Amino acid sequence: MARYTLRRVVSMLITLWFVVTITFFLMHSIPGGPFDLNEKALPPQVLEALNEKYHLNDPLYKQYFDYLKGVATFELGPSFSRPGITVNQLIEQGFPVSARLGGLAALVVIGVGVPVGIISALKQNQWQDYVVTIFATLGVAVPGFVLGTLIVYVFSARLDMLPAYGLDTWKHYIGPVVTLSGFSLAFVSRLTRSSLLEVMQQDYIRTARAKGLPELTVIFKHALKNSLIPVITYMGPMIAAIMTGSFVTEKIFAVPGMGRHFVESVGNRDYTVLLGTTIFYAAFAIFMIFLVDIAYGLIDPRIKLGD
Amino acid sequence: MSQKILDVKNMKTSFYTHVGEVQAVRGVSFSLKKGEALGIVGESGSGKSVTSMSVMQLLQYPGKVKEGEIMFKGDDILKKSKKDMMNIRGDEIAMIFQDPMTSLNPVYKIGDQIMEAIIRHQGLSKAEAREKAIDMLRLVGIPSPEERVDNYPHEFSGGMRQRAMIAIALSCEPDLLIADEPTTALDVTIQAQILELLKELSEKIDTSIILITHDLGVVADVCDRICVMYGGLIMEEGTAEEIFYEPMHPYTMGLLKSIPRMDEESEDQRLIPIPGSPPDMIKPPVGCPFAARCPYTMKVCMEKMPEYSVTETGHRAVCWLNHKDAPEVQVDTGVKRGVK
Amino acid sequence: MSNENIVLSKDMWEKVDTSLLQSDVIARPSMTYWQDAWRRLKQNKLSMIGLITVIILTSLAVFGPMLSAFEYSDQDLSMSGLPPRFDYYQVGDKQIYLHKEYRLYEVENGEFIQALPKTKEDMMKRQRVYDVDGTPVVVDYSFAAKARKSGDPNAKKFELRVGEEVLQPVGKSFNKTFWFGTDALGRDLYVRVLFGARISLTVALVATVVQFFIGVLYGGVSGYLGGRADNIMMRIVDIIATIPLLLYVILLMVVFGSGLKTIIIAIGSVYWVRMARLVRGQVLSIKEQEYVMAAQTLGASTWRIMVRHLIPNAMGPIIVSLAMTIPNAIFTESFLSFIGLGVSAPMASWGTLASDALGGLRTYAYQLFYPSLFISLTVLAFNFLGDGLRDALDPRLRK
Repeated sequence: MARYTLRRVVSMLITLWFVVTITFFLMHSIPGGPFDLNEKALPPQVLEALNEKYHLNDPLYKQYFDYLKGVATFELGPSFSRPGITVNQLIEQGFPVSARLGGLAALVVIGVGVPVGIISALKQNQWQDYVVTIFATLGVAVPGFVLGTLIVYVFSARLDMLPAYGLDTWKHYIGPVVTLSGFSLAFVSRLTRSSLLEVMQQDYIRTARAKGLPELTVIFKHALKNSLIPVITYMGPMIAAIMTGSFVTEKIFAVPGMGRHFVESVGNRDYTVLLGTTIFYAAFAIFMIFLVDIAYGLIDPRIKLGD
Repeated sequence: MSQKILDVKNMKTSFYTHVGEVQAVRGVSFSLKKGEALGIVGESGSGKSVTSMSVMQLLQYPGKVKEGEIMFKGDDILKKSKKDMMNIRGDEIAMIFQDPMTSLNPVYKIGDQIMEAIIRHQGLSKAEAREKAIDMLRLVGIPSPEERVDNYPHEFSGGMRQRAMIAIALSCEPDLLIADEPTTALDVTIQAQILELLKELSEKIDTSIILITHDLGVVADVCDRICVMYGGLIMEEGTAEEIFYEPMHPYTMGLLKSIPRMDEESEDQRLIPIPGSPPDMIKPPVGCPFAARCPYTMKVCMEKMPEYSVTETGHRAVCWLNHKDAPEVQVDTGVKRGVK
Repeated sequence: MSNENIVLSKDMWEKVDTSLLQSDVIARPSMTYWQDAWRRLKQNKLSMIGLITVIILTSLAVFGPMLSAFEYSDQDLSMSGLPPRFDYYQVGDKQIYLHKEYRLYEVENGEFIQALPKTKEDMMKRQRVYDVDGTPVVVDYSFAAKARKSGDPNAKKFELRVGEEVLQPVGKSFNKTFWFGTDALGRDLYVRVLFGARISLTVALVATVVQFFIGVLYGGVSGYLGGRADNIMMRIVDIIATIPLLLYVILLMVVFGSGLKTIIIAIGSVYWVRMARLVRGQVLSIKEQEYVMAAQTLGASTWRIMVRHLIPNAMGPIIVSLAMTIPNAIFTESFLSFIGLGVSAPMASWGTLASDALGGLRTYAYQLFYPSLFISLTVLAFNFLGDGLRDALDPRLRK
């Protein structure tokens, strides 16, 4: 297990470095600089002064190393389109909001998706199974922004049951959390169902029954642990999906989170913000996947002891 | 006079699938005395595994025992409630399966899997159960059982895993152990060890055994009596000696001709396989199921199912050749008289 | 049960020659792998529905826009915001439609004839007067403010009057001029949705093909080389696979500008990892099988043998992978469009249509309906098809 963990840590660090480097060079291959797109054309002296201030005239490799240094010390630079605010500040303000929404969504995915999948598997081909399967099939086909706008339209505009934007009361959380969790929820319930069904066909389930164990024990002790292994493996991609889903969700529900800053910086071509938030997102996702890998190693004894 | 521990009477089991009723077992009767070892031999599809699953009441949807009686220690198993059956399984009747790689749960320790049955049926505490599990591992010949008890299945070799399965099965000292192809997935050398172990333990713990296999060679040493199954029915039943040296059914003779024999003198053995393939169990043949592949088929064989002819020793076979009116046919019994 | 008591007729004891029965009964026509797979696919009803839907959609995408009188970029601001189905009123022998922004149109049998001229606008009393073939019709929208304040979505917002008489709708009609309605710039949505089908499907298809080539090249080379080179190449793949790739599609779009070509290249060049892994696995397994044979054929080109065996064996999983990649690409493209990185106006993809529709969602919900419907249907269809293909092409299920 120790060796496994070590390998994962090294892998994570290499990936992080990769990410920072690629992102940096991508950003700097944009023709023109960050100030060229401002509506008001700046007089050349001002442009020159700004470039100096932000070290944009330094040779590229120097900028790169400065940036690496900055990343390592968590200093991601100022925002170009909003003078006076740093990228760090934007992240500090926006991330907790997004994290709260994302965390809730993840809880919903697991807390609802897994039990629903189990029920669906145990009642295979009966009405519960059909209902779940239909919803799950739709859930993976309907894009997040459709779901989100539907919710706004039906529940806010027509039925007036939910507020349309912001995050003030607990009611405000319903729309965004449902939208964020939608796809993953459908996916996890399908995954749990098929995984459990497959596990129930295994020989060791037959052995458990032959031992005279009650069926509930067979299902919840012997089958469940094995069937959750693929679900845990999905947790990594799920986090990435929720993360990218937040761009759309925060836009639709006007939530002041990091996703919105990201989308806005895309529109504004605010490069430091783009650069900084991309790296932050990527690092966050990579770290989460690392944690999932460790959890996976703890559950599956073939990994815990093997290698 | 030891009493009968299992008495199966005319059991029929079918699978009601959407393509039709698959009649896997079409009327099987046999019995087992205490301390006896019975072998059930047959090809895949003969119904031998389904027979054992029926006895254990482990048939999954859409399988059902549709007729017959299964008398275990005097009571009909088919009339027992689910709860009673659960108590019997693992405790009074135990079963081991073919593939030890997949028959053990990979995420739990071997010891836990043995202890589970002990705790469930014998109500021992965890510590006591663990002691017993270690004893069982020692009994089945696993070295350093005190350490091994905390291992996971993937840390055991194939042969050791099957021994662990046997440990699980015998942990509650069952009256009957059903071994469904226990050696098929193992190497030949390990096969011999496992069979030896089964024989030894059954004598020690006084457990009756039903050994199911497609390999006649496997039952030769271990079993007192042998049933030969084909097409969902028992073709012949007798002691090991009778089956090997005085077969009364062409299928048995065919089997004997197709396995290499060590007890023969002649140097050039020919292995003669039985041509053809097993019958369709959705539309089973009306006559003798073996008729399509038998070298001695008569018209009556295709149309009517023969009845049993029994000798004084209880050796019985179901074949028209044994009828008193049947013509004298030169039959190659597959037995080469050499050293007996 | 004994044999002895049964007496049979003499002829029953005749011998029967069973060797005739041994020949393999029911010689089934032997099928190739592909024929068998197609047969299996046909049996799967859901997959066939998916396949047919895909074919219909593709035909619509190619031929649909030709059926309409409009081009996707034709604008007519006077005809903006018209729904696909609407209530109409009767004034004299003319039918009229009341627009959500309180304009009047003359309609006839569902066709939109023209926007009627406004004769008077009274801002204080919140009224407008329109001339319907000589008859003045009053549109009184003074109720709207109160309705909005009350919060009741069903409160009365307006009154349509001829003289003292308040008009009620006399019927509902489908919009025969603009089958799917129009958007905020008066563009026909039917044409735009189908044009969007062209764009979305093209993006998905071409991006998938790009992914395919990059993936096959990378995976093929990696598998063929084996050893350390393979190890390193796969390590790189592993690293790339952990990164949330959507971020990089977005970055690429920002760097290289939005537009059709960029989207295709961005999607294609970022998601090739899965295909690469797949192809490499196949190459490795072929290499293993053929290695012995290759050694025995004394130097017959290993490359040739591999390629010849690789294609039929690997095609199955590759086809399934392609079928499942297309809905992914459609999702990604619509996602990009939604956050503003899609094809540039006036080109329409389903994603941009949905994004455009967002602003007027409360009043013009239909603008979101059709693009969303088409996206969901297409993704569903490809999912069904992909599932069916996976089962049909699985060699282990072959009978």
